[in-house]
Amino acid sequence: MAGMSPSERRLQKELMSLMKEPPPGVSVDVDLAEQNLLQWIVHMEGVTGTLYEGESFQLQFKFTNKYPFDSPEVTFIGNNIPVHPHVYSNGHICLSILTDDWSPALSVQSVCLSIVSMLSSCKEKKRPSDNAFYVKTCSKNPKKTKWWYHDDSV
Amino acid sequence: MSEKFELSSEQTHQEGQINQDELILQQQRQIQQEISESTPLVGELEAISSLNAEYSSDEVYLQKIKDLASKYNYGYIEKLLSNKDEFKTFYTLAENSKSSLVELGFPQFTVEDFYDTFMEVLKRISDMPTLEDSKRELHQLFNEQGYSDYMVVYLRLLTSGQLQREKDFYSCFIEGDRTVIDFCHQEVEPMYKESDHIHIMAACSAMNTGVRVVYMDRGNNKQVTEHDLPEGSTPYVHLLYRPGHYDILYPN
Repeated sequence: MAGMSPSERRLQKELMSLMKEPPPGVSVDVDLAEQNLLQWIVHMEGVTGTLYEGESFQLQFKFTNKYPFDSPEVTFIGNNIPVHPHVYSNGHICLSILTDDWSPALSVQSVCLSIVSMLSSCKEKKRPSDNAFYVKTCSKNPKKTKWWYHDDSV
Repeated sequence: MSEKFELSSEQTHQEGQINQDELILQQQRQIQQEISESTPLVGELEAISSLNAEYSSDEVYLQKIKDLASKYNYGYIEKLLSNKDEFKTFYTLAENSKSSLVELGFPQFTVEDFYDTFMEVLKRISDMPTLEDSKRELHQLFNEQGYSDYMVVYLRLLTSGQLQREKDFYSCFIEGDRTVIDFCHQEVEPMYKESDHIHIMAACSAMNTGVRVVYMDRGNNKQVTEHDLPEGSTPYVHLLYRPGHYDILYPN
């Protein structure tokens, strides 16, 4: 691992750990991540017994060379964006650990676990109430949105 | 022609909405960048009278600086480094801290990185042949963003660990209906969040030390207010608090 920057070293370490011990229903596209450590695709299965059972999703993680001090940019991509009160139809996710509450002690794995639990605790499949407005006006990068976090229960 | 005009005016309107958030964040980043580029992470020692210039037009502050000056003087005392036994005790405490964080449920995997750097810094400064060298090394490492950030994260984790270990006690100090764990996730573990009373208290008990904070605010007292944290402890480090910022004070 000589010659790697601290952020690359850390990402390499995280990639290995996610490969070896992925959380249930989560898998990372290793080939893609090894080509470019700063952009990963993670596959996620809806948990059995929840509203998302049988569905599968794709998450895109983008990192900067300031990772883990800078939070990763995480969005749902592909043709199945989960219908959820905190997920906009463009794939942006309203989750505080992705911006304000990010800590360098968190990891790709802990973000995946939070998203799995966010989906699993959902009681009604619907889009956020301001979806149409947000999707029309937001920046491409969800980290450029000043989020208001109001409801932790879903 | 008129259609085209309408289209572009709508675009501008939309951009106006887009940019609201971006502008705020951009300005915040710009201010942070200006500050971080123009000031070192840890400054050089200065005489207390340098505060006079900053507050030359403010009577209340000037009075307090006078009071402060009679008690403190910036000097070259880095207690921990000048006392080998105490340094050793601290080193052992730090060495054992990782496993206790992992026991509390912190992910071993990420904690390790910060722990390793923290211990590396302690080792590097203690391996220096003289006290002067140690201090120079410490000053230098703390001014390197790479090391400083890692040290700060680890201290934040230690603080969070202490809060969670004694959550019954600390829950009385937390405002709103947040649990100690919420508070740790939102105000302690993320970088760049301000340290309040409660952070200092927990950090001190985690490291088995005491801090005296001297508050210089615009309150009407002519003297500065002092608080020893945790209460009744022997202050080991003296800090000067001005809204939004702490300086280290070196007592006479």
